[in-house]
Amino acid sequence: MLKNKIAALAAATVSSIALAQIPAGYPADYAQTIAAANKEGKVVIYSALDTKAAQPLIKDFSALYPNVKVEYNDMNSTEIYNRFIAEQASGQGGADVVWSSAMDLQVKLVDDGHAMTYASPELKAMPSWAVYRNQAYGTTFEPAVFIYNKRLVTGNDIPQDHAAFAKILASESAKFKGKVTTYDVEKSGVGFMFVVQDAKYFPQMDELIKGFGATQYRVYSSTGNMLEKTSSGEHLLGYNVLGPYAFTRAKKDAGLGVVMPKDFVLVLSRVIFIGKGAKDPDAAKLWVDYILSQRGQKILANESQLFAIREDIPGEHTAGALKKLYGDALKPIPVSPEIVTYLDPKKRLEFLGHWKQMIQAGAGK
Amino acid sequence: MAELTVENLHLRYGDNPILKGVSMNLDRGEVVSLLGPSGSGKTTLLRAVAGLETPHEGAIRIGERVVFDSAAAIELPAEHRNLGLVFQSYALWPHKTVYDNVAYGLRLRKVPQAEAAERVGQVLAQLGLGPLGARYPHQLSGGQQQRVAIARALVYNPPVILLDEPLSNLDAKLREEARAFLRELIVRLGLSALVVTHDQSEAMAMSDRILLLNNGRIEQQGTPQEMYGSPRTLFVAEFMGSNNRLAGRVAEVRDGRARIEGEGWSLWGTPKGETAPGREVNAVIRIEQVKLGDGPEGNRLRLPLSTSMYLGDKWEHLFRLGATALRAHGTGDLAPGEYWLEFPPDRLWLF
Amino acid sequence: MRASAAETLPRAFTILVTATAVLAPLSLILYQSLLNAPFFDARKAIGLDAYRFIFADPDFWQAFKNSGLIAGGMTLIAVPLGGLLAFVMERTDLSGRGWIEPLLLVPSFVSPMVLSFGYVVAAGPVGFYSVWSRELFGGAPWGIYSILAMTVIAGLTHVPNVYVYASAALKNLGSDVEEAARVAGASPFRVAFSVSLPLIMPSLLFSGVLVFFLGFELFGLPLVLGDPEGILVLSTYLFKLTNKLGTPSYHLMAAVAVCIVAVTFPLVLLQRQLLKGSRKYASIKGKSGRMRELPLGGWKWLAGGVIGAWIFVSVLVPLSGIALRAFVTNWGEGVRLAEVLTLDNFRSVWEEPTMMRGIWNTILIGVVGGLLTVACYTAIGFATHRRNDGWSRFVDYLVLVPRAVPGLLAGLAFLWVFLFFPPLRPLRSTLFSGWLAYSVVWLAYGMRLISSSLLQVSPELEEAARSAGAPRWRVSRDVTLPLIRYGLLGSWLLVFMIFEREYSTAVYLLAPGTEVIGAQLVSLWQGGAIDLVAALSLVNVVLVAVGLGIALRFGVRLRD
Repeated sequence: MLKNKIAALAAATVSSIALAQIPAGYPADYAQTIAAANKEGKVVIYSALDTKAAQPLIKDFSALYPNVKVEYNDMNSTEIYNRFIAEQASGQGGADVVWSSAMDLQVKLVDDGHAMTYASPELKAMPSWAVYRNQAYGTTFEPAVFIYNKRLVTGNDIPQDHAAFAKILASESAKFKGKVTTYDVEKSGVGFMFVVQDAKYFPQMDELIKGFGATQYRVYSSTGNMLEKTSSGEHLLGYNVLGPYAFTRAKKDAGLGVVMPKDFVLVLSRVIFIGKGAKDPDAAKLWVDYILSQRGQKILANESQLFAIREDIPGEHTAGALKKLYGDALKPIPVSPEIVTYLDPKKRLEFLGHWKQMIQAGAGK
Repeated sequence: MAELTVENLHLRYGDNPILKGVSMNLDRGEVVSLLGPSGSGKTTLLRAVAGLETPHEGAIRIGERVVFDSAAAIELPAEHRNLGLVFQSYALWPHKTVYDNVAYGLRLRKVPQAEAAERVGQVLAQLGLGPLGARYPHQLSGGQQQRVAIARALVYNPPVILLDEPLSNLDAKLREEARAFLRELIVRLGLSALVVTHDQSEAMAMSDRILLLNNGRIEQQGTPQEMYGSPRTLFVAEFMGSNNRLAGRVAEVRDGRARIEGEGWSLWGTPKGETAPGREVNAVIRIEQVKLGDGPEGNRLRLPLSTSMYLGDKWEHLFRLGATALRAHGTGDLAPGEYWLEFPPDRLWLF
Repeated sequence: MRASAAETLPRAFTILVTATAVLAPLSLILYQSLLNAPFFDARKAIGLDAYRFIFADPDFWQAFKNSGLIAGGMTLIAVPLGGLLAFVMERTDLSGRGWIEPLLLVPSFVSPMVLSFGYVVAAGPVGFYSVWSRELFGGAPWGIYSILAMTVIAGLTHVPNVYVYASAALKNLGSDVEEAARVAGASPFRVAFSVSLPLIMPSLLFSGVLVFFLGFELFGLPLVLGDPEGILVLSTYLFKLTNKLGTPSYHLMAAVAVCIVAVTFPLVLLQRQLLKGSRKYASIKGKSGRMRELPLGGWKWLAGGVIGAWIFVSVLVPLSGIALRAFVTNWGEGVRLAEVLTLDNFRSVWEEPTMMRGIWNTILIGVVGGLLTVACYTAIGFATHRRNDGWSRFVDYLVLVPRAVPGLLAGLAFLWVFLFFPPLRPLRSTLFSGWLAYSVVWLAYGMRLISSSLLQVSPELEEAARSAGAPRWRVSRDVTLPLIRYGLLGSWLLVFMIFEREYSTAVYLLAPGTEVIGAQLVSLWQGGAIDLVAALSLVNVVLVAVGLGIALRFGVRLRD
């Protein structure tokens, strides 16, 4: 009897070792994926999230799968696109996983057949708008926010919604001359995507653009410039700034204020996919599953300073927490073919032409 | 037997001709000077022989070996010509010691260490540089540097040694010593040497034969005595010594002599080449050949003394003939006045 | 006439490799500019659409005009000032030259983006100095967001590029010509302008052309200082083209690059034409003799003042901006500095292993890569040394062109070369690829350093070895190389410094573990962590400056 007990114990230990490797709720054959990934030994990631912010994720993933080395390349989203398509065309694989905030470019890559189909075991926890053809997944929930200089902008000059923003620009264009900033829609893909979405939810968008023109707005391609110069007082108001960066900064910087617009909040989601022809497909699966998992999302929200897309995560920086506060005002940009509409040069130039026209109209030219 | 033969060498820089058909040879044990004013092509000729310039026509042979032949498209690079070359600036390698400078040619020829050491020691001793092997060039005097440069060129026993203005970087006093030293060394070691110089006294003192270059051509060649004593052209006469020169017209030709006339004077001289009455000529005589006479007989002129200069071993007197100044040597000072100057007819050359 | 194969083969090989390394990416760019889609796209077609598009775009012409103005203006500022600084440092008895020299080089190893940001923090509309000046004098009568300001800043920060060449050339100039002018009654600056600088005209012209090229390639500076006012230059226009049409438009970018090359290349021809057949400058070589310092006398106040002003404006102002930024949480109008002081930024840098690794990697690439680069440049230098034939001229033209292509596109072109040229594929994700890209774009800069060292070797020293029986390669090894070793050490240091700040060229070729600081700065900047950018830059500047100081201390001379 004792013998039996020992045997049972031994059997239980063995299976629990195997089970411990498989995250809870994953199918049993996931063990094979892990084994294959261990054999591959590494996963190559191209990501627009800087290495410093990604470090906690990499560390935790390595603790989970010590045999899979993470080769993390941080580049801006255009560089990722350039490098990835050239590597695909030459048949010289590079990235196993591509993870970028340029949602439109990511979807285009999927549409052009550069992504591998993979139904993640985490699929059921994902909102449907964030899943595209079981190839690409939205991973984050990053609101677009307004920022302002806390020392120099007070009271009613702090815009609480899009209409207020437009009104302040129109009524106080002298005060805000040269002091309003946003992404350059020509240079920044994210900035362009935001204003296209704005036009959907905000009927007086043209008035807002005219307000930009009237105040001779300043445009940048990097979020860093906008945050720094608004904090310093060189600029006073910032429009459509990527939330995670703004919140992170505001935590340390007493000069910077952040506003979640009351009427609607655009939400961007970093899109991840596994490259077709990836050299380490199984390790890539582990990474994607990890990023989508509760464990990964927790770190993403609390340590990597992003916003988790999953609602079943505790903490402020999660879709769940935001939903509780802002409810239906949150307007996630869906990972769908719709967002690549404006990658057509003709349509894009038309939109930019209209933008320019409104700016000039606002400037009184 | 010729150690070095140059045939009809032409060379130009761009459109500018430097050598216009030079031929020469150098026999074993002979010292030949290439003499000429700057721009005459003497250094270029030396460098062409060394392989540092490429002529566009002609041939060069070292012994039996053709090192350059434009017709046969042969050009041996400098390093395969096995010549010794001493540069005007000495071109000692500043990062190598005296020993290493000298030994370099032997190392290139893969001479065993021990033998190389012996040969370098020998040549340094011959040149009076014995204890200086470990020094660097900048620690040496100018004369020592020159001797290192010579040692470096001699150590591998080249058939011909080329020297480019070897004395011009030394000061006047040292130069005379070095000149004697060099001549003595070349003779003692039985070297065949080609020396470039612009100083005719250096050329005469050092060489068995002189080639006088003018404007890319050989004007005249011969022993120092021939060059000095019987120049064939005015250029050679002027270049080889210090002269008095008078311009005039030939009045009559008789018995291999000609009488030349100028304004208020007339003298007999020896024509160099064809001449005929009425021709404009230059009369040239070496200063030391002009003598002070005591009367009108002979080939003499009476001229006023304009000044006298004391030169230490002699006096030089300046006389006036119209606008021309004539010089003569004497042993003592002269009082102001007019004197008879004698111009020996066989020493007064007419060109 | 014929020369032996042992002589010609290494040379032919060197020239061939150089030509391939330069022309492969360039011809790829030219080819790309004639298509309407990426060259690896099956749907591409040949045509002039790209040129049609950019020529019809008013932004292009605006950018072109601005680039021309800035490049021209900065050349006019950098060349005389660089020459003058070199003269004062090299030929006069000004005191304190020992510690001034490393300072003169600071702008050449600080990333231009960081340097420009330093100006924003220090002298921008709400910069430290501007705020102080307004409090003290009621105004800050300067602006940094204009073409004029960019031209001046670019001109001043490119002074080191001219200085390096001018001082090397002045080293070669015998002091007798200057003394002659002095005796004739010229003041020290008269001597500089009428004798010394005209005599080193080849070096000045070369550095002028190089600075002009760099002016067209300028990116970080106009990005930081031009963007706020919407001032476009060609490289920021190129940057705009990557996103303007949604997906990166390589054909448009390539067409812009081809236009830049087409505009700048004639300058190389012009420079050569101006110097052609002029034996005027040859006199420089013959006489070396002892160098004597020109006593400045009362002029030392003026010289010191000019140098001091230059150091203040182009080193102290931006660096103090960065330094201050690194020690505060935030800054600007209405901020009391005492309340926002912090050391957190440095703590974050210290705690983040990738950042410190980035710094070490960069230094390593600069030190080891720089050494290899100098070795390669030396090989190319020897291939053209003392040979005035068609091949040498070809190499002369070749080396300048890569620098005309903006780094943004050059980096992409190198990625393409490594991807689509099969023999190179295995090397793509090694450090070799990044190193090669650096070496190619900085050919012009480095080759000139090497060749000016080579020219200092009297030809007779080499001829002496040849007539002693040494073949060319042994002459190079036994005589020339040992003689230029100090020059090479100095070149190594200078190449190290430009590698230190370079990144865009290699951005597509870098891999994890080989991250360099330039790339990290950009991605941190993008994410808004400017406090870390400042701290990281400051740490980097200090490390490099200390290294520079040590190198100079241990006898590495910047010039021989």
